[in-house]
Parts: sequence; structure tokens; C-alpha cells
Amino acid sequence: MGEVIVITSGKGGVGKTTATANIGTGLAELGYKVVVIDADIGLRNLDVVMGLENRIVYDIVDVVKNVCRLKQGLIKDKRYDELYLLPAAQTRDKSAVTIEQMQKLTSELKEKFDYVLIDCPAGIEQGFKNAIAGADRAIVVTTPEISAVRDADRIIGLLEASEIGDPVLIVNRIRIDMVKRGDMMDIDDMIDILAIDLLGVVPDDEAIVISANKGEVVVTNQSTMAGQAFKNITRRIIGENVSFMDMENEEGFMGKLRKIFGLAK
Amino acid sequence: MVQENIIEFRGTKNGILIYIRPKYDFEIVKQQLANKIDKTKYFFKGAKIFDICCDTLTAEQKKELEEFMVKKYEICVLNQGKQIASDESKTTETVFKGITEGKTKFIQGTIRSGQNIDYAGNVVILGDVNPGAQITAYGNIIVMGNLRGVAHAGSNGNRNACVAAFYLDPTQLRISDVIARSPDGYYEKPKIPELARIKNNMVYIEPYLSRR
Repeated sequence: MGEVIVITSGKGGVGKTTATANIGTGLAELGYKVVVIDADIGLRNLDVVMGLENRIVYDIVDVVKNVCRLKQGLIKDKRYDELYLLPAAQTRDKSAVTIEQMQKLTSELKEKFDYVLIDCPAGIEQGFKNAIAGADRAIVVTTPEISAVRDADRIIGLLEASEIGDPVLIVNRIRIDMVKRGDMMDIDDMIDILAIDLLGVVPDDEAIVISANKGEVVVTNQSTMAGQAFKNITRRIIGENVSFMDMENEEGFMGKLRKIFGLAK
Repeated sequence: MVQENIIEFRGTKNGILIYIRPKYDFEIVKQQLANKIDKTKYFFKGAKIFDICCDTLTAEQKKELEEFMVKKYEICVLNQGKQIASDESKTTETVFKGITEGKTKFIQGTIRSGQNIDYAGNVVILGDVNPGAQITAYGNIIVMGNLRGVAHAGSNGNRNACVAAFYLDPTQLRISDVIARSPDGYYEKPKIPELARIKNNMVYIEPYLSRR
């Protein structure tokens, strides 16, 4: 029996889709059977960041309305045999699926997969309600910005009200240099307000933009900071105790040397 | 000129409402009302109409219509009585006085953005109040944690109500009808538990644990 995890945030553009793609791939790399569901009907992009958009024949609305079988709607990932994607529909909107249909779908998928990850859309309306419908656990993604934290707090309140216990937090796009200067919120301030456990911290990394444009995920590239961060997050999800990355020393001696010679910014 | 539908009988959850379109001459209105009821005389006999709703009729004109309906068709309009009763109830609803000894609601946990707590008494929060949350109490508000949201104490008129917190940094603080907001830009954050009260019509914030 698998676990259904919803990845949500409230605010848009903080990194839910990136996190879902990377965590899904990370878990598949460790050998688990994973399905990632794009619940952002009408504005689908989980397929794009995973590089699977040209393989879509059926989508979640087709599955839910029995136009096709569940198996026909699932798309196998390019690299990992045990990773599947259920894409969203692009020509419908969030009223195309009901809460009951989502619950039925997730309980069916739970039987066949170890992890079912749901990429929740931004907002608190029908799309959000559908995405959390079948979830056992929730991961809240936020960036270290005051507006994102405000929205994350709202979402946590709604998650608590719908009895999804103990959400955990991913802080995305943190810039340690700005935190040190006092220009960006630091993790402790955010935890103080949000009062939930920290799952992981992902630094702001150009590699994310580059890989998304290529349809790849960073977690496969362990030379990037973001890739390492997502790998650690994946290991924490399966229960391993992984200490948090020390992001302050990313420069190192060679980095400083390179700076002197003008080879790095 | 055929004046259609100046008068409308509407069903609401409180009862039947007679809705009269505004700006028509009173005599025409009266005539139309008579016509309408005549057509369905036996249906409305003895009925209790909840109210007559019209933007341009005066109170005397409304009364005249009501009397006319009672006399001719035995329809009585309830609102007359209700109006007076509701005015009375407004003046007799007393300001909550139990701020030194009164009913209190205790809530444990963080009050998150978008959540509102409303209580006709004192409120004690064993936890934080996050920005975007609002606590409205007839009495005092005590936050045993960080107050970063909006707190409205003494909300039905008691100016002696107070707001206290371990970390008093609300976005807005209201006591009865006085509103205070945190200053724009940078300001020194509180380091000790503080209490807010009204003195001389302004909100004063002071520490309440002596010798700290």
C-alpha cells in the first residue's frame, strides 16, 4: 500500500512542480515505484519539466471520465522504468474533476505504487481541494519571501482543517549570501511563523532553469547544489536521517581563487 | 400606459416581501397594489407580509399602504412591530463588562492566516497569531505567544479591554473603536511581554511584568 503525498504551496511559482518532478525522480532512482500526478488542470507543466510532453495521448480527465483505462493514461518516464506520469488536461479547467473522482483515482494508484505524488495547483479553490482530496501527507513549498510565507501559512491552516496531519516544509530558492546580509528571511524566522517541521532547503540554482528547459531534472546531476538538496529531501522522505547541507561554504578555496583571476562572478 | 410589475411579491427566508419599484407616483402604486391583490384575493387573505420594500416611499406612505391592506383585505404587515423591536434591542444590547471577571474562551494552537476567531467574551490563545489572522473579542485578548495578526478587543464598546502578548507585534491593534497600526518602515521589535490599553484616547503599550 503506497503513500499519497501532495505538494502544495498556496502561492504560485515557488517550485511545486520542480519539487514534484525532482522528488519523484529521486524516489525512482532509489528503486521505488512512483507515479506523479499533475493536478493543475488547464495549465499543465509537470510534463514539460520532465520532458514527456510529446508522449501524452490521454490525460487525467480522460481517465476520470473512463474515456480510457488508467494504464493508458500513465506515461512511463524516459529514464526510469518505475516512474510514471499522469498528465493534466490542457483544454479543460479545474472543475472538470471532482473530489470524489480524485479520491477514487488516488486509492486505485496507491495499490500499485509505493509513492503517489500530486503536484497541486496554486490557489485555494477547487484545484487545491481536488489535489488534497486523497492525500495522506502534505509537503508545503515556500520561498523565503514574506508574501510566500503568508500564503504558506494560509495553506497550512487549510491542510490542518482538512485533517492532513503534520505537513512538512521545503524552503526553495534560498540565497545564503542575501540571508547573511540580512536582506532575505532566514530559515529560523520562517519556521517560527509557520511552526511545522523542515523537510529540506534548496538553494537558488541556475541549473534548475537550464534543466527545465531541456526537460530534465536536477536530481540526477549531483554536481549541482540543487540536485544534492533534492536528493537529501528524497532520502528524508523515505525515513533516513540526513543532516542539512552546509550551503555557506559553497565557494570554497578554489572558488575564491577563481574569483581573483576573474574566472567566476 | 400599462404599468406592469411595479409591485412584486417576493418570497424570502423571513417571509413575503412586497417589493415596489422606486420612483413611481404613490397613487399609481396604491392602485397597482389594489389590482394585484384583487386578482388573488382569497390567496392573500389573512396573510402576514413581512415588509414593504421601496426606496422612494416615505414612512407615512408605507403606513398608509399597510393600513389599506389591513382594512380592505385583512393582510397585516409584520415589519411595523419588528422594526421597533429591533431598534430597542440595539439600544439594550449591553457593552460586555466582564473584563476582570467574565466568560473566556481558551484556544490552543497557532491561529493561521485567514482564520478568524470571534467571541462575545475574553479570549486566550495558547499559541501564536500569525499575520493575516484576526481575533475579535468583546473582552480582553491574551496571546501566550507571538501576536502578529489583527486583535480587536472590547469590540462591542468596552474601552477598558486590553490586549497582551508575549511578543506584541500586531499588524493592527484595535480596542473598541480606537485603531492603532504598527509603524511603517523599520521599528524596534519588542523584547519582553507587553500589554496594550487605551489611555487618553490613544493606545498605550507597556510591559506588564515588573523588573524586566
